[in-house]
Amino acid sequence: MSMKSGPARRRASLVLTTALALCSVMGARAAMAQQRLLETGSSLLYPLFNLWVPVYTKTHPGVQITTQSTGSGTGISQAMSGIAQIGASDAYMSDFLVKQHPTMLNIPLAISSQMINYNLPGLNRVHLKLSGPLLAAMYSGRVRYWDDAMIRRLNPGVRLPHEQIVLVHRTDGSGDTFIFTQYLSFSTPSWMNSVSYGTSVSWPAVEGGIGAEGNPGMVNACKGTPYSLAYIGISYKKATEAAGLGEAAIQNRAGNFVMPNPQTVQAAVDAMAPHTPRNERISLIFAPGKDSYPIINYEYAIVNAAQPNAATAAALREFFNWALSPIEGNSERFMTPVGFVALPAPIVALSKAQIAAIH
Amino acid sequence: MRAMKFRAWLALIAGILPATLAAIVLFLAFYSWPAMHFNGLGFVVRDTWNLGNLYANPIMRHGTQVQPGATYGILFLIVGTLLSTLIALAIALPMGIGAAIFLAEAVPERLRLWISFFVELLMAIPSVVFGLWGYVVVIPFLGHHFYPLIAQSLGKAIPFFAAPTGSGYGLLTAGIVLSLMIVPIIAATLRDALVSQPASLREAALGLGATRFEALWKVMLPGTRKTLIGATFLALGRALGETMAVLMVSGNALNYLPHRIYDPVSTMAAFIVSQLDSALQDPTGLAVRSLAEIAFVLAIISIVVNALARLLLLVWNNSQRSVVV
Repeated sequence: MSMKSGPARRRASLVLTTALALCSVMGARAAMAQQRLLETGSSLLYPLFNLWVPVYTKTHPGVQITTQSTGSGTGISQAMSGIAQIGASDAYMSDFLVKQHPTMLNIPLAISSQMINYNLPGLNRVHLKLSGPLLAAMYSGRVRYWDDAMIRRLNPGVRLPHEQIVLVHRTDGSGDTFIFTQYLSFSTPSWMNSVSYGTSVSWPAVEGGIGAEGNPGMVNACKGTPYSLAYIGISYKKATEAAGLGEAAIQNRAGNFVMPNPQTVQAAVDAMAPHTPRNERISLIFAPGKDSYPIINYEYAIVNAAQPNAATAAALREFFNWALSPIEGNSERFMTPVGFVALPAPIVALSKAQIAAIH
Repeated sequence: MRAMKFRAWLALIAGILPATLAAIVLFLAFYSWPAMHFNGLGFVVRDTWNLGNLYANPIMRHGTQVQPGATYGILFLIVGTLLSTLIALAIALPMGIGAAIFLAEAVPERLRLWISFFVELLMAIPSVVFGLWGYVVVIPFLGHHFYPLIAQSLGKAIPFFAAPTGSGYGLLTAGIVLSLMIVPIIAATLRDALVSQPASLREAALGLGATRFEALWKVMLPGTRKTLIGATFLALGRALGETMAVLMVSGNALNYLPHRIYDPVSTMAAFIVSQLDSALQDPTGLAVRSLAEIAFVLAIISIVVNALARLLLLVWNNSQRSVVV
């Protein structure tokens, strides 16, 4: 330094002070702008995250969480690619995907269910009875009209119109598609052998069938289309009610027709949850038990156990532990408005064990 | 020396454009090669897009690792793309030509500037805005009021227009929204061509005793034929590749061809967007490569359409020359 002439030294010190000033500004911003987490995926889980995040960030000002409703398919793929820290999904990852991405965790956060909705002018207050094989027959085009003998047999006394059924399905990769097609697969062998299940399936070609984006898109398509049939996540019950859609009673494994409500969902949870393995990737569809609602599922956070830095990992662990706490995130206060059911204590323990692995 | 250098630079810069096109097509061909190999020519004639069972383990088929049950066929996408584009053109051409004539001939000078400005402004509206407007306004209106009318009138004679008219999501809606997006391209281009025709042409026609309509129809319009063809193919290209607006109003049909003009359809561009995330979940990666193959087919179709336009112009020029001789 001493070799340098006056002006050069002055310039060097100027650069140094500017750099220092910049650093301190950025440091201050970092301290203020804190840890950022991006949640993306399931439109079914989206309403719950939107209830959670404002409450959580109020008590935890060090974290900023952005939520996005993009579909479970996006949730899984963006969590794998690292774009999002939390991939929300109604579907767990396949065995092969987990083998390909061994550090990915599937952590249940709550229990959800799915409604089967329809828009039958004049009949939307009637809870039609629908079974898995009947829904499979409708979605594969074998039952084309609302007054088909198969529907009438399950619904004696209901004056069904001779109108074509307009089938609505999800266009985006969707956990709702996953659990709906799982219900069809587990209840109807011919569906299992042909279409099977997945977050996006090759829907049988049925003329007039509509593809919709996200649960809001499903509600809108069903509302705007008389004689349509759709599968919609329970967290959109307020929207389906506002739209005046009908809601079906679905046949469970025991042969009874049940509506999704906290009791029927809890009955299914009691029957299925004890089978949950340590990695928690399990289907809860088509549970045994006379009161069990057949289409329920874990709502997953898809998270990479290996985070790029310790601060992000810590922020994730803290948030998930809060979300799972029965007096915080899993309390009635958050679950009831979206129609979800809290995780049973043994499942919370399993989830917490997985959360502890985030580093 | 300096001029040489300048020319070299110009050549380089001008060369970037065709090189980009070649690079894109080559990349698509290269990237989708495994899919092409697996799908074969059946890709464009099959009607089933099936990612297979994503929750099963991959199997080997024809030397490629795939999910069991996977088949990729895009005939329904090709048909949806071409039909919606055709409908858009059928609506947009008369509207665009009419608007251009109106703007060039019938509007007072001071108003013309303003209206032309608005027509051109229409071109600058992002397609997603058209899509949203279509989703919120056009679909309910067409589905509940307009389509039943068409079905009752036209539908009696032509089965393709017969009821049921469905939900409003579908081929005709996509065509109508697309047509509104391409009308300004045709109208603005043709108006400019009409205005820039030499005034002496019209004066000569009128002097020979032609009416105003005859002068327009027989003298002015034929002079702009080349421009009209050019603008039409530009519009065609836009309609073929339009993504967002179509995605929002087409009903996103899967695996079936439309039997009626109201039936849901899906187009190649919209399908690539809507299926990318699902495809990314295919652990074998074949689904994404098949999407790339769709992009490749779309690029080829666009290039062929544009080449046809050139050819048409060429043939036209030659025939006109021979008439003159």
